[in-house]
Amino acid sequence: MEIEIQLTPDPIAEKISPPPSLGGQGAWLEFRGVVRGEENGGNISALEYEAYPEMATREIRRILESLGTKFPCLAAKVIHRVGVIPVGDTAIYVGVASPHRGEAIALLAEFMDRLKQDVPIWKRRAIVGGTDSVGRVTPCAPVQDRLPTRSGQGTARPTLKSLDEALVEIRSHCRPLPAVHTPLADAFGRVLRETVCAPSDLPDGDRSTRDGYAILQNDASGIFQVVDTLHAADWKPRRLKPGETVRVATGAALPCENLCVVMQEHVERDGDIIRITKQETALNLRKRGEDVRAGQPLVPAGVRLDAGRLALLASGGCTQPAVSPRPRIIHFTTGDEIVPPDRTPKPGQVRDSNSILVHGLLQKFPCSVVQAHLPEDFGAAKQLVLTFHRQPSTFDLLLISGGASVGDKDFTRPLLEWLGFEIIFSQVNVRPGRPLIFGVNGSQAAFGLPGNPLSHFVCFHLFVAAALAKLTGAEPEKFRRGRLAAKLNDPPCPRETLWSARREPAGLHPLAWASSGDVTCLRETNALIRVPANRGPMESGAEVDFLPTD
Amino acid sequence: MRILFFAQLKDTTGCDAAEITSPAPLNAEQLWAELLKKFPKLAAHRSSVRLATRCEYAAPDAIFANGDEIALIPPVSGG
Repeated sequence: MEIEIQLTPDPIAEKISPPPSLGGQGAWLEFRGVVRGEENGGNISALEYEAYPEMATREIRRILESLGTKFPCLAAKVIHRVGVIPVGDTAIYVGVASPHRGEAIALLAEFMDRLKQDVPIWKRRAIVGGTDSVGRVTPCAPVQDRLPTRSGQGTARPTLKSLDEALVEIRSHCRPLPAVHTPLADAFGRVLRETVCAPSDLPDGDRSTRDGYAILQNDASGIFQVVDTLHAADWKPRRLKPGETVRVATGAALPCENLCVVMQEHVERDGDIIRITKQETALNLRKRGEDVRAGQPLVPAGVRLDAGRLALLASGGCTQPAVSPRPRIIHFTTGDEIVPPDRTPKPGQVRDSNSILVHGLLQKFPCSVVQAHLPEDFGAAKQLVLTFHRQPSTFDLLLISGGASVGDKDFTRPLLEWLGFEIIFSQVNVRPGRPLIFGVNGSQAAFGLPGNPLSHFVCFHLFVAAALAKLTGAEPEKFRRGRLAAKLNDPPCPRETLWSARREPAGLHPLAWASSGDVTCLRETNALIRVPANRGPMESGAEVDFLPTD
Repeated sequence: MRILFFAQLKDTTGCDAAEITSPAPLNAEQLWAELLKKFPKLAAHRSSVRLATRCEYAAPDAIFANGDEIALIPPVSGG
């Protein structure tokens, strides 16, 4: 029996080809074990698997070889993923080829039983969907420090940036992820990375827009001989002579150029002869290439693929467009004062709303997200982070909520530096959201987001979205111009302010908020007004910059 | 002897590997005695842990000597 075994931290492919025909192969049986959204009665967002790789590989081979003598199969392929595996992803894939299905089914069933008994692979930890602490299982000790280390701890960059400076830094430090070719059905919401041009004229020839009769455009004959009938799918080129006509259906390709279509309501027909009773004022056709000419762009690079654009790509025969991959995002919440939203906070505690906020904000962007809560103890937090960071390729963007200030327990910056990140800036001169940390480590980017929800909301739309746009090759969201529909009563502030607002047809209604801890304004917010530093109150009707957030 | 810990045993011992030296080769019973001296908390796991050496589960009468790499395999849960 041919045996192939892989242990991999990477997602297991959606489609795996059977081995090339081995002769006598009549069955190719595939099994996928998928991470369930529930573990021990609680909802989870991911499972972390650990393996003793050398021995696991040997054990799998030993089991397959022994089962191969019992059930004569031709080939077996086993892929087990390790590391953090999000719910819904395949943890194990087994493919078995055999002459008849019976052997393959028997071998697979027994193999899975024995794998679960003998192969040194462990479900290490359930990662709870961002709202719960990871407490159920304590984090493991680091295996060894495999992290990329960067010389020169701490950085001497000026750390306070204006909003515009911060955006420039983010855009210059994030790099677009390499494009991937993806089936159309999996491309929704992703950014097209290469312009797709029309392979041929659309429509590909003149087509009738009416049920009627096609005649030469300048044919003054009063009576016409019907020489053919064309349905929508027919393709019958022919030259029409004066006095000849072809019966056409709506959508039918006309037999030659320079024709027009007389609606059937405007003729009298007697056998194969028609007489026009009313002159047409329109040609009643779509000209060849009227929609787009061959070679002209159908969909330009840099746009997000919505349903309409996907339909256009399909009409142009582009079934595997080059698009941005889904960025892999890890989001950690921090702080022992945070309790899951289904618990009642004790005095001094607050419910975690940032996990679901970030989760929701990321819905706009096709990406994969794993969320977990970090313990407040720096050492324990480091150990947990390490389990997510065994490979340099495990994430593209790291988001850490809370811990971005400089309090004793605010460890985001030391944590990022320990992970090898270079801190590009650690404060932005905006309100809310001043203590924002941005760092890069090779192709990876990280943000430390100030802990309260309004700051999260603002920093996400301003800065995280800019990083995601750059990573995916999208056009960045720009501020738009709008008018205030009511007075914005804010005393002058030395920092730029992003003011929550409700955008209505009449203009922008500033919403009331007093501090960045206020959350009720999130109920109405669908735009952020950019108030320049030291501007002071602005009257209704004033022209302002704003960023839509819906 | 290099001892490897996996999964929850890492939490129990606080490390992923340890070194044990012995003037003479050890059988499983003697090896456990040495291990428990160093990591008393392992006692709770002893009944469920299997020993492996050279990437194979060890036979009950296996003998372990300096230079061997020995893995402590807690109950597995792959797939």
